[in-house]
Amino acid sequence: MLDTDKIRADFNILNGKSGIVPVYLDSACMSLKPNQVIEAMNDYYFNYPACAGRSSHKMGDKVTKKVKETRALVAKFINANNENEVIFTRNTTEGINLLANSFGLEKGDVILISDKEHNSNLIPWLLLRDKIGIVVKIIPANEDGSFNLDNFSQLIDGVKLVSIVHTSNLDGATNPAKEIIEIAHKNNTLVFLDAAQSIPHQKIDVQDLDVDFLAFSGHKMFGPTGTGVFYGKYKLLEKLEPFMVGGDTVEFSTYDSYKILPVPEKFEAGLQDYAGIIGLGEAVKYLSQFDFNDIAEHELKLNTYITEELQKIPQIKIIGPKEAKERSGIINFYIDETDMHKFAIMLDEMANISIRSGQHCVHSWFNSKKIYNSARVSLYLYNSMEEAEAFITNLNKIIKIL
Amino acid sequence: MPCIIALIIFSILGIFSASHRALAKEAFSCVFRRITLRPCDTGFADKIKGKILAKIITRSTFLAKMVNKHYEILSWIFFILMLGSTVWVMQGVYNFYVFGSCNGLNASGFCAFDPSGENNKVTVLGDSSTCGVTQKTEENVTLNNVDLSGFPTQSIGSKDTVVFIGCYACDYSRKAYPDIQELIKNKQTNYVFAHYPAKTGAEFLANIGYCVYKDYPDKYWDFNSYLFSADKDFVLNKLNTDKILTSFNLDVKKVNECANSLDTKTTVENQIKQLNKTNIYGTPTIFINGKAFVGPKPYRVYKSAINKFIFF
Repeated sequence: MLDTDKIRADFNILNGKSGIVPVYLDSACMSLKPNQVIEAMNDYYFNYPACAGRSSHKMGDKVTKKVKETRALVAKFINANNENEVIFTRNTTEGINLLANSFGLEKGDVILISDKEHNSNLIPWLLLRDKIGIVVKIIPANEDGSFNLDNFSQLIDGVKLVSIVHTSNLDGATNPAKEIIEIAHKNNTLVFLDAAQSIPHQKIDVQDLDVDFLAFSGHKMFGPTGTGVFYGKYKLLEKLEPFMVGGDTVEFSTYDSYKILPVPEKFEAGLQDYAGIIGLGEAVKYLSQFDFNDIAEHELKLNTYITEELQKIPQIKIIGPKEAKERSGIINFYIDETDMHKFAIMLDEMANISIRSGQHCVHSWFNSKKIYNSARVSLYLYNSMEEAEAFITNLNKIIKIL
Repeated sequence: MPCIIALIIFSILGIFSASHRALAKEAFSCVFRRITLRPCDTGFADKIKGKILAKIITRSTFLAKMVNKHYEILSWIFFILMLGSTVWVMQGVYNFYVFGSCNGLNASGFCAFDPSGENNKVTVLGDSSTCGVTQKTEENVTLNNVDLSGFPTQSIGSKDTVVFIGCYACDYSRKAYPDIQELIKNKQTNYVFAHYPAKTGAEFLANIGYCVYKDYPDKYWDFNSYLFSADKDFVLNKLNTDKILTSFNLDVKKVNECANSLDTKTTVENQIKQLNKTNIYGTPTIFINGKAFVGPKPYRVYKSAINKFIFF
């Protein structure tokens, strides 16, 4: 069981040292940062702000070592076969773009995605559709929005790549990744998993899932902004074309030739965000100290309370599965013909409650359902029951004036 | 409608604050879309509405509900009120510029730009034991049917004429005097000066002034300026009069005899009667081309009057 008070003490913004303590319910967008992460980044900037892998001095060596350590930490965190399967990116979006542009897709190749993809896992494929003529197919979901394995099975034949969200930022529902991957592999189709929303909340074991490619962001799992990871099975990564090239991606070059470095350097062009990578390593360490079952239990407790309270309000419609246990730490809701931005603004003004409103980068889903927008509460392990109650109390006040 | 209000308010606040400038841009975008017959889809209106409702709901849920329900109507009301107050403020600014008071010429109500009312302060003529003049409203202050021919005059053939009715003993007359001198010098106007003894103890200087002007017209204006600029207590002390006259190389005996003569007393009394016909209620009162300015106005006010900048 999580000790929320103890956890909150690790976050300056939550322990009152930074002034007003917000009720932060927007962790699906961005998690708060524990002091350990900030201190690790400051330590880099204060004490050894040098380059990794290039400079032969003590500071440079230290950065190289720290980056290597982080790569190993991440590899262990997701149970990668070896640390070279971990490629540092800026975020999940960059990981997906890397895959889309390196996979060697050709005209007519079919990509299969779900109907709840974040723009990051939709637009890169649509762009390739328009540029080279790949085919993007959408897997129809069940009525309650959950993944339909039958529909998926019917569409898998001839598909080059399945690129699918693991846990949806729209409704918090987690797709049956293992089954999807099994079905896809039986059809010799590779699978990419967008784990941006799942990795902060559940144990990801890439070997157990047998997933071919996976990407996630650091900023949703206590890490700094501008950090992310792209994972791929080593043999597959070797086959991918480099996405961006330049500094630190080649072993040597002449005026008319070059030799690209092996994975992972092949995909890490230019000077990296070392402070960010070091911060990410610290975030992985921080998150690793918790049992994911405890995190899930804690989030479920809060989610259940909020869900039950929202279900008492007739106007409110919750997006996705009815049961809180199927929605991770997310409760996304709307009221017909109501701009939910107003809710978010009012909660913020009334009680410093931070929630997200809008279409949450899943415009395609909202447009298809003709829903203007929604308000999303997303929980994490530092949220307390008092915060959930404050949200409900203030929301009820707003509902009264409608 | 809230976008228009927000645009105006945030544009003004944006002059001083970058964050409000950003809001003004958002509001402009919203207004622009509306006037080009497109929906305002920036969410700005809802953002503002949300912020307003959040402030109200923490005080009264009922009031917040009412505001939410009648938001559009309330917006219109506030818009009209804002337009009205904007016009009012602009009028106040104009009045302050050309009359020295937000409320109009010689009006002494509160003015934010002149909170202490300095530009309208006068030495009131209400003390009957001194002057016997009843306070009048400014509308009645006029030069019509007032004979100014006996008063010290500088006539240079200008189309503009400034008449200064002041009192050597009055602080506000002394304050206005340098500006009037600068005005007649810069604008080359005709000039009439009339001493009105608004305060007890200044009457004798009316007689002295009359005699100096009658017998020494070439020295009168310097003498007059001295009486306005020298220490007030010194000037008002009769024991110092001879010294002052001497300092201007005037025949002390001759001036005193003149001042004490029945003719002079009668003439000065008649002059006061003429001044009373103007219905002035305080000094200084300055007539510029017949328009009365009561109290020591800023120089720009007098200049505006000469420049015909006054439209209303």
